[in-house]
Amino acid sequence: MQETDLHDLSDDPDYTALQHQDSMSNSSSKSVRMCDSSKSEIVYSKENVAVHPSQYASERISGRLCIIKQGSSFFLTWIPYKAMPNLVDSTGRKSNSNVSDNDRNLYTIRPVPLSDIHSIRRHIPALGWQYIIIVLSSGLAFAPLYFYNGGVREFLATLKQHVFVVRSADDPNVFLLNDFQDPLQKSLSSLELPRVLSVANGTPKQGSPNEVSSIYDSMRIDGITASGTSSAFEYRGRHRRKTHDPTHDLSIHVMEKFSLVTKFAREATTQLFGEFHEIHELLHDRKQKDSSPLDAVVVSQPNDTQSKADNIVATSDSTELDKLSLVWGKPRQPPLNHEEWETFLDSEGRVMNSKALIKRIFYGGLEHELRKEVWKFLLGYYEYESTYAEREYLESVMKLDYETIKSQWKSISEVQAKRFTKFRERKSLIDKDVVRTDRSVPYFEGDDNPNVIVLRDILLTYSFYNFDLGYCQGMSDLLSPILFVMRDEYEAFWSFVALMERLGPNFNRDQSGMHSQLFALSKLVELLDHSLHNYFRQADCLNYFFCFRWILIQFKREFEYEKTMHLWEVLWTHHLSEHFHLYICIAILKSHKKKIMEEQMDFDTLLKFINGLSNQIDLDSVIRDAEALCVCAGGNGAACIPPGTPPSCPVDLDAGLYDQQDDEIL
Amino acid sequence: MATIGNNNINAKLVLLGDMGAGKSSLVLRFVKGQFLEFQESTIGAAFFSQTLALNDATVKFEIWDTAGQERYHSLAPMYYRGAAAAIIVYDITSKDSFEKAKKWVLELQKQGNPSMVTALAGNKADLEDKRKVTLEEARAYADENGLFFMETSAKTAVNVNDIFYEIARRLPRAQPAQNPAGMVLSNTPAEQSKASACCS
Ligand SMILES: Nc1nc2c(ncn2[C@@H]2O[C@H](COP(=O)(O)OP(=O)(O)O)[C@@H](O)[C@H]2O)c(=O)[nH]1
Ligand SMILES: [Mg+2]
Repeated sequence: MQETDLHDLSDDPDYTALQHQDSMSNSSSKSVRMCDSSKSEIVYSKENVAVHPSQYASERISGRLCIIKQGSSFFLTWIPYKAMPNLVDSTGRKSNSNVSDNDRNLYTIRPVPLSDIHSIRRHIPALGWQYIIIVLSSGLAFAPLYFYNGGVREFLATLKQHVFVVRSADDPNVFLLNDFQDPLQKSLSSLELPRVLSVANGTPKQGSPNEVSSIYDSMRIDGITASGTSSAFEYRGRHRRKTHDPTHDLSIHVMEKFSLVTKFAREATTQLFGEFHEIHELLHDRKQKDSSPLDAVVVSQPNDTQSKADNIVATSDSTELDKLSLVWGKPRQPPLNHEEWETFLDSEGRVMNSKALIKRIFYGGLEHELRKEVWKFLLGYYEYESTYAEREYLESVMKLDYETIKSQWKSISEVQAKRFTKFRERKSLIDKDVVRTDRSVPYFEGDDNPNVIVLRDILLTYSFYNFDLGYCQGMSDLLSPILFVMRDEYEAFWSFVALMERLGPNFNRDQSGMHSQLFALSKLVELLDHSLHNYFRQADCLNYFFCFRWILIQFKREFEYEKTMHLWEVLWTHHLSEHFHLYICIAILKSHKKKIMEEQMDFDTLLKFINGLSNQIDLDSVIRDAEALCVCAGGNGAACIPPGTPPSCPVDLDAGLYDQQDDEIL
Repeated sequence: MATIGNNNINAKLVLLGDMGAGKSSLVLRFVKGQFLEFQESTIGAAFFSQTLALNDATVKFEIWDTAGQERYHSLAPMYYRGAAAAIIVYDITSKDSFEKAKKWVLELQKQGNPSMVTALAGNKADLEDKRKVTLEEARAYADENGLFFMETSAKTAVNVNDIFYEIARRLPRAQPAQNPAGMVLSNTPAEQSKASACCS
């Protein structure tokens, strides 16, 4: 068990530095007295703190971070600046117009009581912007806040003046708030779940919301430029007006688009959008009366490998055309076979049109025989532009490299191992897991199955290759199908390495990779299914931990072996979205929404129910539904997903990828 | 929490302990009467329920089986929060797993619900020849900490039902019928200290 140095932050130069800064009134944390509310006070405010909804600079949202004092309570809030065309922000870039009010509203942090904040993780890369991630007691985390002008230390210093802050012993960059427990115990309680606060639209638990919104108002009255969209304010105010909830409007809009598709794909209609039946009918009637712009036309896509266009639908609106031509309801295609695969390759073995290939795999998957070769492309082990000869060469190098890494632990003698606790522990963790991984699959069946040893060797080698991450339960599940497909140790190893480049953060000790995915999932559900979101909120289930297993090991335990492989290749295409797995989650949840809500499942019941869905889910229809959800969520969906959310690359590549705490010892 | 209606008790029970100690196997044995040599590892958590009939009551256990690896430790409070009972499992062939069990005991003492009925299970008792943790050592520890203790074997089923029965017996009861409206929960489970360590 890790102990926490309660109060003792003196060994941390940053922290010591910031304590000095406390005593000087520093420029960035000024006290502003509010005119109409003598009890409300901005005790800290920081300009140019930004959210990066995607990797695109044009989509960054700058704003102001504040700590507000209201009576004896403190609230944290981040408010995006209003869109001002042609304004140059302080980082020298032209302020953009790519950010919609919706995005602004989505990321706005409405006043959160500091008592609801569990911890703050800081990232201070040597190069690039400092940022923080705020994790709430509910387990949800906000998108990273980038401090364009620096000042994370000052921010933490100010916090420390107002709330109890302890640095986590598990990670020196994590600061725990409101942690009054025995230091021995503290690191264990990091997820007081499932207490819930809705990140986007939550009402502060302490202090009256009205009081806080009056601060907002006064900030506006004062003419302080930082302000959210006006709808954000009205939304928060005393009279919550549903019609002003942009996410609500959006989900209606999304469903409208859907219902349009539905009527051309009736046979394939699942229950997914049943609730919007009325809208559907409405549109249908209208169509029969006149030729409205909502009329759908049949289009064919010339470069689509699937030539049958009869069930392809699009509106006459050309911007929708492309989206809707990826028709939901279209039956899945047969898996890509060898003959067809060859047509994607030029004479030297290069993939000529990787986009088309990816799309083809997304819609049909692969015949098993092709997996060994094609998975390597999907995983990034092979480059699409490489030739046969180059790949052959690569293989020979990789084989040797693998042997080298493997020899690092192979050469540890027994005497040496006796003095190498870390190694022994790791080996024993892996030994315990490989013997219980997919033993009912014939490939791993039976006593003394050599493939089980190979599984062990690869995992142990990986734990040397990526010593910081080490071994973690769940990894053997991810490796098993890969080894089954590759049937060769070094190829399986490097394919696994490539997969872990994407999924490694799922196994972060602080669960940050999982947090960010669960957070994104909650935002997506809010966007795509407001009533389900509301249900989860009132049932205290907004942390989405019932989806933990799905996400951690990519649904490996939810489908039969063959289906899992199929789903994985679909996910790995990153067609439509890198985070397609989150849409899969939503599709599954939506298909059971009625039951969940009618039976009023609480968290426990829900988790039991979800675990029980294993092997009960129809993969094809789930993929189709997820596709539809993803298409319709579009850019708004992408904006729900914080940058760096796995399987995206981590934002902060300068820092060590994984923290290096020993964790095999309790 | 144990909730009571007539003499039906619903009790949330959580299994904690090192990975591979046999938590999932114990539940599986208790709930389905099965044992799998290659029980798959637990990801996140799993949920089971099983009802036991005692003389004076029917106890429905809602059992949470957790992932054992330290990496997932931060998720544990979510599962033991509000539990009426816990079984902390170690593997008698692993000293290390016993040490981890002690940490769990400590954590529950600090964080758990104070009236929680806590049992210590020394599992894999069938592997006598590989034993690393003695019965005496474990019993002494259990007595010191007010736990009741049994050595179990999910494989041979020894003491598996017994440990659950014993927990059921110790769960707080509603007062006898003369006080039906009162529903007073006894906070100190009777005969807590006299662990009937009926080990194999
Ligand atoms: N010999 C023996 N093996 C057991 C016993 N209980 C569990 N095991 C084995 O120990 C391994 C880990 O068991 P599991 O229940 O998955 O442990 P968990 O990680 O604590 O849930 C499995 O291979 C089981 O078959 C037991 O009582 N005796
Ligand atoms: Mg288990």
